[in-house]
Amino acid sequence: MKVKERISDRIWLVFVHVFVALVVLLMTLPFINILALSFSGETAVIQGRVTFWPIDFTLNTYERVFTESQILLALRNTVWLTLVGTVINVVLTVLAAYPLAKRRLKGRNVFLALITFTMIFYAGIIPHYINIKNLKLLDSFWSLWLSGALSTYNMIILKTFFQSLPESLEESAQIDGASPIRILVQIVLPLSKAALATIALFYAVGWWNSYFNNMLYINKAELTTLQIRLKELLSLTNSNLFQNADASEQNKIVEESVKAVSIVIATVPILIVYPFLQKYFVKGVMIGSIKG
Amino acid sequence: MSVAMHRKTRKSRYRTKFWRNYLANNYQLYLMLVPVLLYYFLFHYLPYSGLLMAFQDYKLGLGIEGSEFVGLKHFHTLFRSSEFWKILKNTIALNLLNLVLYFPAPIILAILLNEIRNVVFKRVAQSLMYLPYFFSWVVIGGMFVDILSPGTGVVNKILSALTGGKTIFFMASTFWWPIMFVLSTMYKEVGWGSIIYLAAITGIDAELYEAARIDGANRWQQILHVTLPCISQTIVILLILRMGSVLNVGMEQILMLENAAVKSISDVISTYTYRMGIQQLQYSKTTAIGVFQSLINMVLMLLANHISKRLTGDGIW
Repeated sequence: MKVKERISDRIWLVFVHVFVALVVLLMTLPFINILALSFSGETAVIQGRVTFWPIDFTLNTYERVFTESQILLALRNTVWLTLVGTVINVVLTVLAAYPLAKRRLKGRNVFLALITFTMIFYAGIIPHYINIKNLKLLDSFWSLWLSGALSTYNMIILKTFFQSLPESLEESAQIDGASPIRILVQIVLPLSKAALATIALFYAVGWWNSYFNNMLYINKAELTTLQIRLKELLSLTNSNLFQNADASEQNKIVEESVKAVSIVIATVPILIVYPFLQKYFVKGVMIGSIKG
Repeated sequence: MSVAMHRKTRKSRYRTKFWRNYLANNYQLYLMLVPVLLYYFLFHYLPYSGLLMAFQDYKLGLGIEGSEFVGLKHFHTLFRSSEFWKILKNTIALNLLNLVLYFPAPIILAILLNEIRNVVFKRVAQSLMYLPYFFSWVVIGGMFVDILSPGTGVVNKILSALTGGKTIFFMASTFWWPIMFVLSTMYKEVGWGSIIYLAAITGIDAELYEAARIDGANRWQQILHVTLPCISQTIVILLILRMGSVLNVGMEQILMLENAAVKSISDVISTYTYRMGIQQLQYSKTTAIGVFQSLINMVLMLLANHISKRLTGDGIW
């Protein structure tokens, strides 16, 4: 009986390991394929010989993309967008989460109700667009920075975190007559470094990946951002998707490498911050799942 | 009488004293909230006034103040147009497809990950599966279109090697496109989505497994009779919340994956609104669609929250 169980369990465990390994492989291979394409020589790509390893290793396509496609401008803009945006986000999130974490705050429920309502009822794309237009913010990063100055979801996560800090920490300082701002800066924030770092990273990734609002609010070529430029480069090869007759064979394939390189360029910064993100995000998801 | 009056003034004096004290100690908290409330006013409440456009023949030059009110005209034409019902049908169909095919995936993944005892293997697997969540839809959409392309995509290369030259035009086929749509959701979110179930599984009392083992349950039976019942509450909450957003389809995801060949099934409320509203300047008509969508969403979300609270004692607010 016992032996039989062990065999069934062993078969099950082998199945689980093989299955998970397969899923991981399936999820990783597309990206490896793109990486391989991005580093492969043109002829190898044209002949369709590249699968999961670069053939005729070269950096030519990278050189071409960086010199020809305005991607440096988009990168510079995106770094600026991300930096300023994240600073605004973190400051405003703290300014919202700290007072709202205080149960003694009169009017707290009214503020929370007003904020929650905006999560339940969305005015819609067009009213938001008209609003930004009326505020004369179109074609400026301020439209993105200000309209995305705060994420209610992240604010609630930080509020929950502040509420989890022991009250006694602040009480003694309060008795000594320290003001709320002083308590926040000198006691609470130093204790919240990890939480703030997590939230900052999440905001930063959001800015880096931002696409739709950039497309909606910004039409100036000199303000193009990375995802917008990437989408433009990817669309070049829509001719390829439809096997358009007027695109020459040569051009089609070279576009293929350009596409791969652009995807890699857009993801490398995410890969760099990912280990830091991963260190904290599991906790973040769990805090978020407990209601504030 | 004079005593009563005296008491009254004393009470109000206490009250003013209390308030003076309270404000002296806490005014800074309100100061902090000033920019926050300003943000919510400017970028969430001010746009609500734009909802009026749905009831007007809105003209850009005239603004909301000057445009003529036309009552429910736009809603009438909307509900009578076949196009509206088509995008509504597409939105719900893609959502239901996601619900049936995607929703169980993170649950299954979490259960399988929990079975793995090798810490290094588990950690590596988790790291690689959470990663795509942080990629933009532009990147993931681009990757999907790229590897599935009939001419140069690696998937068709493998397919043609296996079948002797047969290739499939995945993204241009109305049969394959919805499947690729769900697969792209899965690719981006299955790992991330499994975290919450893994957390629920970690919270299960080890004694329950002990008892099941003593009763002779193998690992598979332990999953059926311990793990699944124990995380059913989490599953129900997330399922209900999912149902509450049945009119929302990730707009960026569609914009990246769509193409002319599959427009008849890929066009959803949000993409239609964007195209008609921003690109063709039909502000009033598209705001009416938005009002319809937001109202249904609100009702569904309130309902979902209510059901979730009734069933499990827990909701989102």
